[in-house]
Amino acid sequence: MSDYLSIFEYQFFRNAVLAAILISVFAAMVGTYIVSRKIVFIGGGITHASFGGIGIAYYLGANPFAGAAIFAILTALGIEWIAQKGKVREDSAIAILWSLGMAMGIIFVFMTPGYTPNLMSFLFGSILSVSTTDLYVLAGFGLLVGIIYAIFFRPILYTAFDPEFAQVMGVRVAIFRYMMSVLMAMAIVISIRSIGIILVLSIFTIPQITAMLFTRNFARIIPLAALWGITGSVTGLILSYLLDIPSGASIIFFLTIQFLILKLFFVIKQKIATRSAKV
Amino acid sequence: MSKPIVILENIYTGYGTKPVLEKVNLRIEANDFIGVLGPNGGGKTTLMKLILGLLNPYSGKVSFPSGRPPTGYLPQVSQIDKSFPITVKELVSSGIKDKNPWFPHLGTSQRKRLQHILDEAGLTKLASRPIGELSGGQLQKALLSRALINKPRLLILDEPNTHVDKQFESDLYKWLKELNKEMAILLVSHDIGTITPIVKTIACVNGTLHYHPSNQLSEEVLRVYNCPVDVIAHGPIPHRVLKSHEHDNQ
Repeated sequence: MSDYLSIFEYQFFRNAVLAAILISVFAAMVGTYIVSRKIVFIGGGITHASFGGIGIAYYLGANPFAGAAIFAILTALGIEWIAQKGKVREDSAIAILWSLGMAMGIIFVFMTPGYTPNLMSFLFGSILSVSTTDLYVLAGFGLLVGIIYAIFFRPILYTAFDPEFAQVMGVRVAIFRYMMSVLMAMAIVISIRSIGIILVLSIFTIPQITAMLFTRNFARIIPLAALWGITGSVTGLILSYLLDIPSGASIIFFLTIQFLILKLFFVIKQKIATRSAKV
Repeated sequence: MSKPIVILENIYTGYGTKPVLEKVNLRIEANDFIGVLGPNGGGKTTLMKLILGLLNPYSGKVSFPSGRPPTGYLPQVSQIDKSFPITVKELVSSGIKDKNPWFPHLGTSQRKRLQHILDEAGLTKLASRPIGELSGGQLQKALLSRALINKPRLLILDEPNTHVDKQFESDLYKWLKELNKEMAILLVSHDIGTITPIVKTIACVNGTLHYHPSNQLSEEVLRVYNCPVDVIAHGPIPHRVLKSHEHDNQ
């Protein structure tokens, strides 16, 4: 038990826990939008396309996360534009941008002379090396998403649910859709630093799906998803230290285990309810 | 003739380069109850989108002599994602037009209006339920409440009688007759048998639009207007039996 607690004496670990909490909070808001609209695949496209930006930034000697952000935002806007125009098959367009981004990333990282950056940290994240500055960025972004949701909750919900009807009601659907696309892209890129390209989507989906076991009310899914995100990621972090396994993977693994345990609980509860109803 | 609220003049429209409607003329007056009939792909939904402002004409003009009337819209139920995590209350609230679209919130009078419309539709007990738990008829009631909460002067319904039972359909038509005293109604359907008894006039849409200023459709009219529709006779609901006719003119 003392082992268990002593880890909190290290600042790097406290930073990691704070990062996990902050990411869980804004991912709960953005992820509920993603899961409700069933656009997880778009999230995947944005995430992987951003690798192209990382590669180019490395090649040019620029900040890789600025490169990732530019690529992610352009991809998100591009996908939304294609969806609104409807001239190209949306899923195919996403797949093209997804793989094109990865391909460009690989080419430019390969072409970068000298030291090749540790690709693993982009692919799997490095939450244990989160700095205090990173925490400020996460907190600032979380605050921004919170304010946007507080002010525009209704139009965000309505354009996600039935955009055509929202437009008839005078909601600026296109603007809200583009705004949410940018927010999604930014949320993903900011989380890549900690969780990595391969694993980042899970924090935007697993806690939300877990929350949806309890409620089908958009507004209530958000706080519940934040809660399950925090419990899952912090437990995953602690386990990664105790078991000496990679932290990002451990977080995702525990988020999934948590979901499965709760799902099982609900299935059993349902079975008992139907059985007693029969009797 | 009373003053029209919507006028469509010589409209040509479609999607991209694919024309769907040609030479469409229509006047909608304050207490009209128009049944919009026609085959699938004939342009019924396109006509609706045009009036709703979701689609622009290639040429021709859509005008609103006394300004765009508050409009209630009930989309086809198949267009609704029933698994979306939204409650009945939120769904119905989404029909409230915000005075300030940038900083929207529900005021006291809007909350009262919401309560009133939920009571009227018999949805109060279901208000906090997610829409995924509703029956077909309950979902239609919720969607219709969403269309009505803004007190529209024009109500546009797209196939409101799909996925509902006969009892609900009959109740719906009674409700619409009442509503028609306060608003113009445009009811889109591919099912001529059930809607002709309740509508006042009929618009046949099949690439173009033929307006028929009564609810009686003869074989002659259907043939001349090239308005092939499913004729289905329904039992327990009030209906007008169409004149019998033979299909010898195909």
